[in-house]
Amino acid sequence: MTRIATFTPPEGVPISMTIASAGARFGAQMLDLLLTWTTCALFVLLVAYMNLISWNGFVTLLSLLMFLLRVPYYVLSELVWNGRTLGKRIVRIRVISADGRRLTPWQIAARNLMKEVEFFTPFTLVLAAWGGALGGWGVGIMLVWVATVTIIPLASRRCQRLGDMIAGTLVVENPKAVLLPDLAAAAARLPDRFEFQPHHLDHYGRYELQTLEHILRDRIANDRVWEELGKVTNAIITKIGYAEPVQPGDRRDFLMAFYRAQREHLESRRLFGDRREDKHHARPRTPPGPLP
Amino acid sequence: MTASPIAAPDPLRSARFRQEREDGWRRLETLVRKAEAGGARALDYDEARDLSTLYRQAMSSLSVARDISLDQGLLDFLERLCARAYLVVYAPQEPVGQLFGRLFARDIPRAVRSSGLPLLIGFLAMVLGGITGFALYAQDPAWFYTFVPGDLAGGRSPAASTEFLRNGLYDGAGERADALGTFAAILFSHNTQVAILTFALGVFVTAPSFLLTFYNGLVLGAFYAVFHERGLGFDLFAWLSIHGVTELAAICIACAGGARLGMAVVLPGDLPRPEALRRAGRPAVMLMILAALMLIVAAVVEGFLRQLITDPWLRICIGWGLGALWLSWLLLAGRRT
Repeated sequence: MTRIATFTPPEGVPISMTIASAGARFGAQMLDLLLTWTTCALFVLLVAYMNLISWNGFVTLLSLLMFLLRVPYYVLSELVWNGRTLGKRIVRIRVISADGRRLTPWQIAARNLMKEVEFFTPFTLVLAAWGGALGGWGVGIMLVWVATVTIIPLASRRCQRLGDMIAGTLVVENPKAVLLPDLAAAAARLPDRFEFQPHHLDHYGRYELQTLEHILRDRIANDRVWEELGKVTNAIITKIGYAEPVQPGDRRDFLMAFYRAQREHLESRRLFGDRREDKHHARPRTPPGPLP
Repeated sequence: MTASPIAAPDPLRSARFRQEREDGWRRLETLVRKAEAGGARALDYDEARDLSTLYRQAMSSLSVARDISLDQGLLDFLERLCARAYLVVYAPQEPVGQLFGRLFARDIPRAVRSSGLPLLIGFLAMVLGGITGFALYAQDPAWFYTFVPGDLAGGRSPAASTEFLRNGLYDGAGERADALGTFAAILFSHNTQVAILTFALGVFVTAPSFLLTFYNGLVLGAFYAVFHERGLGFDLFAWLSIHGVTELAAICIACAGGARLGMAVVLPGDLPRPEALRRAGRPAVMLMILAALMLIVAAVVEGFLRQLITDPWLRICIGWGLGALWLSWLLLAGRRT
């Protein structure tokens, strides 16, 4: 289920952002762990191999690195990249302030300090339990702890973990914006062979039109065989009562032409205040539940 | 629009709408991507000016498109573009430069002054722990082995000779500075890790923070009792003072930060708990930052000065003098005029 956070900027046009899923966040966290530990291990090995510094210097370096890899790395990377650690950049999510304004440093510090009890310590305990280093009580505490920190974000309305609640932050998706070509414009370039009458176009609504758009885009993007579309074409022909036969080779042109005509029709209905959401638009709405 | 593939205007209203504005959206997308990668500083004057104009145009396009267009591809693109442009325009990166000045001059002292009760809890945990540890040891020295982990004691147990204990307080003067630096770094990493855990555990209704700090106090009390018994109480006091005033206060302050979070969960007042947590979050984090800062100073003092300075009175002067400096900063700085 995708959850949405809505903001109203001063321009007065509400915009929505998709809350990142728990899976994406866990993935980003694991990527961060992997990246930081691998880099540091390589660095330490390199330093040890080249014999650059004394034993004391080496121990100093190691103890500081062990410290920096936990909370400080996350605070610094989110500070420098405005709410995106390396792992978050890879899975395309980012941290934003829940009020929609800039992310302040104390918010970043707060959410990452809580990572200590929400991720690092339970994670270490799980590893310890796996290795058999915990007694019966230890395993019990570990299970309660892990359950608590897992349930809180899953139960939260906006998928916030404790750190997010304290800091007042959200993690949202930061998807690529790709402008796909306009299908209606593409349809206009095809030979104009199909005529649609108004009574053909009164059956479907927005939902069916956009489903058709999705199918057509999928075909164009993957360059699949258009002849497979027989089922879709026949369903449409039956529903709208289109009299003339459509040859199997013409299915693509027929669907494109129908898409364009249907969209034109629905959009002009929309301008007159007739918003047809789906094919049930003609049926009067009945209130849900049994009537007395 | 010469760039669009169709020369004649499309009779479809929404397609025409799109043709006329497409170039602006694409340019906005390029600018947004640039600003996301390098911050707002990556844009030059013209680009920054275009960004704000194009952003407002895209927002109005989105508003219109939601009404007149049924092109899902277009709507998805505009929704995403506007969301990203919104973040670039209204949620840019905070300039880090002034941040530290403000933190030290104002935010941290104010957060400390507004956290009376949590600070009381933090310091009380340590003091109660200390008294309990001392009293229990006075009853039965075997308690020492219960409280103090072997690696922390380092042979300084009730069984050790007085001479060994005394030497433990005053050796280290001959070591090389290189080794001292390593010692300081290890101390700092370890102590800060403990402080962060103490702080973050506070969210589980304060109790774990309190217990952790209380346990620190227990160890300290038992330790002191061992030395007190041999007539080395004053020497240990001096040995602890030089760094301990700062270090132990830092642990208490981290505990106070945790207590602040915990109290928001236990006693949220009229607010819903997430909101109460959010309000307590800011001062609590300031307390934790202060604790981390104090631990850096404590580690340097413990790593270098304590090993180099062996006169007990000088140790006491440095330690409590440092404490007085912290106190005067926290009490005096950043007051509203």
